[in-house]
Amino acid sequence: MADFNNMESMGGQKARNILAVNALRKAFGSLQVLKDISLHVEQGNVVSVIGPSGSGKSTLLRCISFLEKADGGDILYDGQYAVKDGVYATKAELNRFRTRFGLVFQNFNLFPHYSVMKNITEPPMIRGENREIVTERASALLKKMGLEGKENAYPCQLSGGQQQRVAIARALALNPEILFFDEPTSALDPELTGEVLKVIRQLAEEKMTMVVVTHEMPFARAVSNRVIFMDKGVIVEEGHPEQVLGSPQQERTRQFLRNYQR
Amino acid sequence: MSLMTMIVKMSEGLGKTCAIFFLTLLFSLPLGMIVALLRMSKVKVVSTITRFFITVIRGTPLMLQLLAVTYGPYYLFRANVSRNKLIPVVIAFSINYAAYFAEIYRGGIESISIGQYEAAEVLGYSKFQTFMRIILPQVIKRIMPSVTNEVVTLVKDTSMAFTVSYQEMFTIGKQIANSQTSFMPFVVAGVFYYIFNAIVDYLMGRIEKSLDYYR
Repeated sequence: MADFNNMESMGGQKARNILAVNALRKAFGSLQVLKDISLHVEQGNVVSVIGPSGSGKSTLLRCISFLEKADGGDILYDGQYAVKDGVYATKAELNRFRTRFGLVFQNFNLFPHYSVMKNITEPPMIRGENREIVTERASALLKKMGLEGKENAYPCQLSGGQQQRVAIARALALNPEILFFDEPTSALDPELTGEVLKVIRQLAEEKMTMVVVTHEMPFARAVSNRVIFMDKGVIVEEGHPEQVLGSPQQERTRQFLRNYQR
Repeated sequence: MSLMTMIVKMSEGLGKTCAIFFLTLLFSLPLGMIVALLRMSKVKVVSTITRFFITVIRGTPLMLQLLAVTYGPYYLFRANVSRNKLIPVVIAFSINYAAYFAEIYRGGIESISIGQYEAAEVLGYSKFQTFMRIILPQVIKRIMPSVTNEVVTLVKDTSMAFTVSYQEMFTIGKQIANSQTSFMPFVVAGVFYYIFNAIVDYLMGRIEKSLDYYR
């Protein structure tokens, strides 16, 4: 694992790490879900995390977004410690760190009692931003997501794919430096995954820094700068998508991908 | 006594019936929320005590609670029974209904998916903001049918105040029935309650409808 990290950093000048995770540990009871996970995400990069269910991918995402409390290790945003050796920063500091990332959930988790517009505008306004500026930004985001005219709709009136795109707009409205996706298309009808993946791809082209937990292998291959394969709480293999998905070095990775293609 | 006289006399008690009804709602609706939050407290002692309180209130008759609150102070401390019976009546009703509302609130709060809390947390809502802006509005919508049930029951339960001789509509009706050996006052009371509840039903339906804009 450490070797891969070294290999990566050997190749040239040091880019800015938006996110760095060192030796992250997490257990649920006696079950070690994350065993010393280390990874870093450079500015403008897209990192895809793949692996079988129960491998710890989602827990990893939940730990770095503070939804789950890690037992040990470090989490750094832009070089600043949010968690150091398992010790968390203060509540106020964590809340500031939260402005650095956005999280898109598998089941969207839009607020059903809010219109599309309010779903997007309220979080920045709660953080003290001006309504007009936020509304303008939200309109632009909705346009970008192909959701013009849906401002006043309620989530229940939208398809799953549309809801997920609203959720992406909601996350982007806080101007995060990095966006996390937790299986963003797993709850969608197959015919609707395309529209969501297209939006994420578009963000990748705009050099949005992202970590995507996904089961969409062709998507991971096409969009990511790096693919991480996790199993049983460890990073088994990581590297360029062509390498990990095209010619995996580890037997476990090969096995997983074989099962995947069936 | 003519039917008209009965109706007039009994409707004089309607003000007091309404007083019990509205004051009980005024106090028990918020009090129920406090009880619900204590019941869901992560502090074991708090939740256990609250749970016990709820079982006592729900497990004993409202009539008994009315008697206890009204006359209890006299038997315990030889304190004077308050002359304005409205106070003990409203206290007893409010505590009783708070326990029921608490369980309705709890059911509503626990039915909201954890994802709503997580989304709010990640988006920077404080705990308080999350509850007030995200959770509570959804809870209110979900619990409306159960709350309506309780409110309708409350209308009828106000008649229980006769046990402490509070001069509300039913108490007056009962007195007339006794002195006139007539069943008519009970029929009148029934009609009054029915009309009262028809209005309650209509209003609660309107509120429910106003929350219909989302699922």
